[in-house]
Amino acid sequence: MTDTRSPILQGTLDLMVLKTLEQMGPLHGYGIARRIEQVGQDAIVVNQGTIYLCLVRLVQKKWIRAQWGTSENNRKAKFYSLTAAGRRQLQAETESWERVSGVIGRVLQPAAGR
Amino acid sequence: MATFLRVMMARLRGHFRRGDLDRDFDQELAAHLAMAEEDKVRRGMTREEARRAARVELGGLTQLREASRDARGLPWIDTLWLDLKLGLRMLRKSWGLTLVGGLAMTVVIGTGAVVFAVFDLVFDGSLPLDDGDRVVALQTWDDKGHRRRDTSVADFERWRDALASVEDVGAFRAVERGLATADGAAGEPVPVAETTASGFELARVAPLLGRPLVEEDERDAADPVVVIGYDVWQSRFAADPAVIGRTVRLGDTVHTVVGVMPEGFAFPINHRFWTPLKAARSGSLPDGDGNTGVVFARLAPGVTLEGAEAELATLGLLPPAVAAESDEELRPRVLPYTFAMAGDLEHGDVLWMIRIVLLAVTLLLVPPCANVAILIYARTVTRQEEFAARYALGASRGRIVGQLFIETLVLAAGAAGVALVLARFALRLARASIDQSLSGGAPFWMDFTLSVETVLFVAGLAVLAAVIAGLVPALKATGGQMLSGLRALSGRTGMRLGATWTALVVAQVALSLAALPSAVEMVWGTIRKGVLGPGFAAEEFLTARLEMDRESRAGLADPPAAAVRFAAVQAELVRRLTAEPGVSGATVAAAVPGEEPWAVIEVDGVPLPDGGIFAAHNLVRFNRVDDVFFDVFDVPLLAGRGFGAGDFERAAAAVLVNQTFVRDLIGDASPLGRRVRYLRKGGVPAEPGSSTWYEIVGVVADLPAHATGGTMYHPLAPGQTHPASLALRAGSDSAGLAERLREIAMALDPALRLDEVLALDEVYRENEVGNNVGALSLAVVMLSVLLLSAAGICALMSFTVNRRRREIGIRCALGAQPHHVLSGIFRRAFGQLAAGAAGGILVAALLSYYLPVEAVGGWDVPGVIPAATLFMVMVGLLAAAGPARRGLRVEPTEALREG
Repeated sequence: MTDTRSPILQGTLDLMVLKTLEQMGPLHGYGIARRIEQVGQDAIVVNQGTIYLCLVRLVQKKWIRAQWGTSENNRKAKFYSLTAAGRRQLQAETESWERVSGVIGRVLQPAAGR
Repeated sequence: MATFLRVMMARLRGHFRRGDLDRDFDQELAAHLAMAEEDKVRRGMTREEARRAARVELGGLTQLREASRDARGLPWIDTLWLDLKLGLRMLRKSWGLTLVGGLAMTVVIGTGAVVFAVFDLVFDGSLPLDDGDRVVALQTWDDKGHRRRDTSVADFERWRDALASVEDVGAFRAVERGLATADGAAGEPVPVAETTASGFELARVAPLLGRPLVEEDERDAADPVVVIGYDVWQSRFAADPAVIGRTVRLGDTVHTVVGVMPEGFAFPINHRFWTPLKAARSGSLPDGDGNTGVVFARLAPGVTLEGAEAELATLGLLPPAVAAESDEELRPRVLPYTFAMAGDLEHGDVLWMIRIVLLAVTLLLVPPCANVAILIYARTVTRQEEFAARYALGASRGRIVGQLFIETLVLAAGAAGVALVLARFALRLARASIDQSLSGGAPFWMDFTLSVETVLFVAGLAVLAAVIAGLVPALKATGGQMLSGLRALSGRTGMRLGATWTALVVAQVALSLAALPSAVEMVWGTIRKGVLGPGFAAEEFLTARLEMDRESRAGLADPPAAAVRFAAVQAELVRRLTAEPGVSGATVAAAVPGEEPWAVIEVDGVPLPDGGIFAAHNLVRFNRVDDVFFDVFDVPLLAGRGFGAGDFERAAAAVLVNQTFVRDLIGDASPLGRRVRYLRKGGVPAEPGSSTWYEIVGVVADLPAHATGGTMYHPLAPGQTHPASLALRAGSDSAGLAERLREIAMALDPALRLDEVLALDEVYRENEVGNNVGALSLAVVMLSVLLLSAAGICALMSFTVNRRRREIGIRCALGAQPHHVLSGIFRRAFGQLAAGAAGGILVAALLSYYLPVEAVGGWDVPGVIPAATLFMVMVGLLAAAGPARRGLRVEPTEALREG
């Protein structure tokens, strides 16, 4: 059996995490990982461990902040939420991503139609 | 950039809160696993299955912890710390390399540090005054002659009145005056600044007591006044609060004290006495002795040096009163004040000169560091197993190279530390020498502490040294086969010392042997006098320099009259001193015995030796001495006659020579009646055929006994030389006599100045300090070169033995005598070294023939070349002994198994 799932594109995990936090509000690491997997509908491989490394990086850049809280089933968990800087960064990265993916789409289009 | 800084700050915080953050992270992961497990149980898995699946999805916990720790903190700090510790351990472990390499690096980095510190001292002074770096000097510069010319008073006044880009324009000239306070205390010459009142405005320093000089003081008719420094107030006036109004005699003039400046104030150079510059009103800036006055100013607010230069260039110079010399090209220029004081220099030229010298000093690192690189390469190769194992365990090549580099850097840093200590010592010596040569001491802006720039330069040298000595061999030793295959783990090294490295070792041996004889002769020549002593009771003699105040001499209409006055004073002084109890003799000469100037001479009928006038054989000292000189110093006449009354006429041609002169220049023939003449005196060549012939009339014993060369004595009548050197024979109490000498001189003529009043043994000792430091430096450099050679030989031999262990083993197993085997193996290396040594001997012989060390202060040591050769052979054998012993200990069975 061949695995048809793609690895996450370099540098896009940050964008996904930021977007997830924007949509879902404060969320813990496990929630973020689950959410990305659900949205990806099992088409991408998410190494859950790398999400935590990504969270460390984003906290250092002050794009997100972390706070201990209580989860839905009453468990102590660390919750991450977007900062104002993170929101700006998300917007900039989203625009950049759309521009790039649009270009790639146009480049690939004629080949697909042939 | 802001994000980068934020991340770095966060990582720095993370580095120091590692424990807390680790616990935090563990809790977070635990929460993650628990939530995932519950989730999966809810979706129908057994608890066991759910737990396993959650762990698999999260990934390896240990790796995750490591990765997060790296992401949170500064992992390279730990790496660096570890490498530093390893480096220190390696220094201790291979102490031989530490010693040899450390010494070599210390020598070159130390040289760089001293050169940089001295440049920094001389050329990078900024005035420690309010806004001191805006103080400038204005000069009349001769572009053709590359020197400063006198600034005319007309130009000075025009600059002062017309220039808008500078303010507080003023001028000073530095003069020396004999000092006496009104209470009759005897004095010595002191530096006095004759300055315009604007000097005090420019300095922006208020007097402690009284007032500074004011413009009214500059009028010709004004009463003579003086402002004194804090030290003078303390020492000469016992800090008398009522000092204002008291008087001080400087030279012939009595001045009234009008002010006391605060402690440390010494503008313009190193002054503690300030009198008004009246000459500015009365005609010329330069004084009677050709001491050019200095024009100073402060850049107006907002004006740059270039701006002031431009305005000054536009204003230009007035046409000179007397027609300019045809080869002059004068223009005014502006310079930073301290730079102008460093000498007649072009700013741009000096910057280039500094750059070139610093580049040369930096390049000087290469040869010794290349030598150290051989040694480090050799050691690295012996550690191949360690590196191969680490590589196998996942260390990158960069990581291993980094570790080797840091190890060398630790060594270089140690050398740099010693270098900085040396630089500090050099600065202290510089201070002592400046204080000694400049009356009044060093200029007040000179900072004799190590500057930040010097420390940075030395740090740069250390890094560069580590790159050459550590990085290059590390890259070479870790490249290629070692890391790709792990053959080295088997314990057999396929490494060899390449042709380049071998050539370096051989060249090093050649260089050592070439330099060793000259170095020995130089060191001996330098310390010989000090070691052997003067050969007479130098401590019984008190010497002093006699000089008339410039002011007093200038005051006399014609120079012969000044000479007559000096002659009379001198003769009377000698007469009175001889009459003093405890004084058994007084004599006057041009120079202190043993410290006479050098000249190159020709002896009639003795052909000039090869090497022409540079030949050391023709280098002699010369002095002029009065009629009792040889009696006072107890120098016996060995042949011919002494000076007679007729010889003291002006045009007399009789000279006396010492024994060494006869031995070196004339040989066995009789010296009496021979004629000699000067070819070069004080660095200036005499026209061949034009200089006077002198006739040798007698031979005296050497004075001091261990003379550094031949000496020629001319007769000296009183007043014929100025300044003159006085020597008193006093027995034990020369210190008490010094006081008495000053009193007598003061009573005789206030314009007579006594300088450098010292016991003769002190004079010799002072000169020895510099000699000893020079000799020690040379000896250390030579030692370092020798050690590098020895270490290089040792490395070469080690490689040879290591490479051929198997061959040694097999041949021993087949019954060959180990000694035969060894000699066969070492034959090639010995051959190379012998060739190097032969080259070195040849160079040493050529050096001693064409560049005699005597010409630069060395002393011929008979048989020094064979002795040096023998010494090098012994050094080589000792260096080869270790590897040879290791070779002999090779067990045949073991060596075979290794294959």
